Amino acid sequence: MSIEIRSVSKKFADFNALMDVSLTVPSGELVALLGPSGSGKTTLLRIIAGLESLDQGAILFNGEEATSRHVRERQVGFVFQHYALFRHMTVFDNVAFGLNVRPRKTRPSKEEIRDRVHGLIKLIQLENFADRYPAQLSGGQRQRVALARALAVEPQVLLLDEPFGALDAKVRVELRRWLRRLHDEIHVTSVFVTHDQDEALEVADRVVVMNEGRIEQVGTPEEVYDRPANPFVYNFLGNVNLFHGRVDKGEARIGGISIDLPEFEEAAAGPAVAYVRPYDIEINRSRSSQEEIEARIRFIQGAGAVARLELERLDTLELIEAVMTRERYRELGLQEGEKVFVRPRNMRVFLEDYNI
Amino acid sequence: MTEPALVRWFLTGVALIFLGLFLLVPLAAVFAQALEKGAGAYIAAITEPDALAAVRLTLVTAAISVPLNLVFGVAAAWAITKFDFIGKNLLITLIDIPFSVSPVISGLIYVLLFGLQGWLGPWLDLHNIKIIFAVPGIVLATIFVTFPFVARELIPLMQAQGKDEEEAALVLGANGLQTFFRVTLPNIKWGLIYGVILCNARAMGEFGAVSVVSGHIRGMTNTIPLHVEILYNEYNYAAAFAVASLLALLALVTLVAKSIVEWRLKVSS
Repeated sequence: MSIEIRSVSKKFADFNALMDVSLTVPSGELVALLGPSGSGKTTLLRIIAGLESLDQGAILFNGEEATSRHVRERQVGFVFQHYALFRHMTVFDNVAFGLNVRPRKTRPSKEEIRDRVHGLIKLIQLENFADRYPAQLSGGQRQRVALARALAVEPQVLLLDEPFGALDAKVRVELRRWLRRLHDEIHVTSVFVTHDQDEALEVADRVVVMNEGRIEQVGTPEEVYDRPANPFVYNFLGNVNLFHGRVDKGEARIGGISIDLPEFEEAAAGPAVAYVRPYDIEINRSRSSQEEIEARIRFIQGAGAVARLELERLDTLELIEAVMTRERYRELGLQEGEKVFVRPRNMRVFLEDYNI
Repeated sequence: MTEPALVRWFLTGVALIFLGLFLLVPLAAVFAQALEKGAGAYIAAITEPDALAAVRLTLVTAAISVPLNLVFGVAAAWAITKFDFIGKNLLITLIDIPFSVSPVISGLIYVLLFGLQGWLGPWLDLHNIKIIFAVPGIVLATIFVTFPFVARELIPLMQAQGKDEEEAALVLGANGLQTFFRVTLPNIKWGLIYGVILCNARAMGEFGAVSVVSGHIRGMTNTIPLHVEILYNEYNYAAAFAVASLLALLALVTLVAKSIVEWRLKVSS
């Protein structure tokens, strides 16, 4: 089932949780709502579920108006951040709940319920835990039970609120890969909320980056990571270096480097910021062109698959973060305190006033 | 614990001596006085018709007021903890009023409202409805005084539990009643029983408010505490203590039940 969100706004007292948000989730896709806390991502998820009302706008399921539909009738599965398992029920009863509360006419028989629940418990690999209570399970197991409980009612849409937020790092990575595989099997339209960029980039078909109640960018993980639409997305997805400069007549001057920017041809002259990823910082021992910036190495972290360097510009004293391959690091034989020449590649320039 | 043994023994000793002097000795005295004239006099005192009427009235009062406050307490706690509405803080304050007002005042409120000289008195008199100096007044006063027990017990518990489980039940298709009986009620069961036990103990033992509205008509509007007072004022000490021992027994039973429930509460959370 596809979901369409049409210019939805929501206010909590004086706080604008969502401002004119529009988004379409095609049927069968796994979409991540990614943003810092307070960006409105959880509010949007709860509005899709019907757990929260909206002030303006509309929610459509499969093109049909669903805004006024009660949460009970929306046929969504919702997985809560803190699981929200029924603490006085066993794993079996938790998973069976959605089927047991159906009116007699549509309720499957006892045997059918038992078979279906056991099938789901098998799917989440907790066959030996059916009679346990939530308190007797680990965090990862509880989250899997919460997922099975949501899937038991065969929802048209699966909504997950920070599904791995409360788990420790290792379980988190395992569980999100498992969720991805599960989605590839059952193909239910899914939306999950996260503040963890790795999670969003790894699991989702499409990433929706949110900030302060608005959507900043929608795209595949590659699109949002490689071609961020604005400085916020650049900052939020991964580490980034900032180089300040000026834009004038379609040309940016950042340090000693000039870049042609035809899109800014018409723009008034003004300050600009160039964004460069740490792995796009090239370091040389000797100057090869005027476009290089002089810097001193302040700190090197050489252990691991890549070497991380912290440099200080000699002209502005601003810090630059650089990442290079092990081989390149060995080849250069860099030392802390050494003076080097830095050359940023793949700069993305934004006008300063664009920054909020 | 890092305190020296001497300090610990001293503090424990002080607490025990205090408890002994102010709780155990009086409790023992009640039973000793009650049985002073022998078991025969004891049984006669508690099976005498006026005493039996007092026991009956106390039980009836509790049987009406406790269930009502159970329903009210659950409804109030449910509304306060699971929903946001205007006037929520006012409701919380109102629930606390019976705790902060002297029971005598609580009784007087009803006399002023329903008494012959009160606001509604003439109308009630005209329709021959008796509230003050009759059973309805006693029940009303008891309900007022025991009003906060269940709600006060449940509100912190339900606040701590949050509304996640209820929301989960709703999303899974449960209606309001199913959510309440299958999710909320099992979660608050022990807290609720605890509140009911306290509410019941107070309902049966209430003196001040009931005393004002009762009129002290023997065999008619006397509850156990009021009956004890009358006997005592008549210098009928053995009978007074015999009836009082019933209340003391109730207190002991309450204490045991309370401990069991407290233990269950700890286990279930």
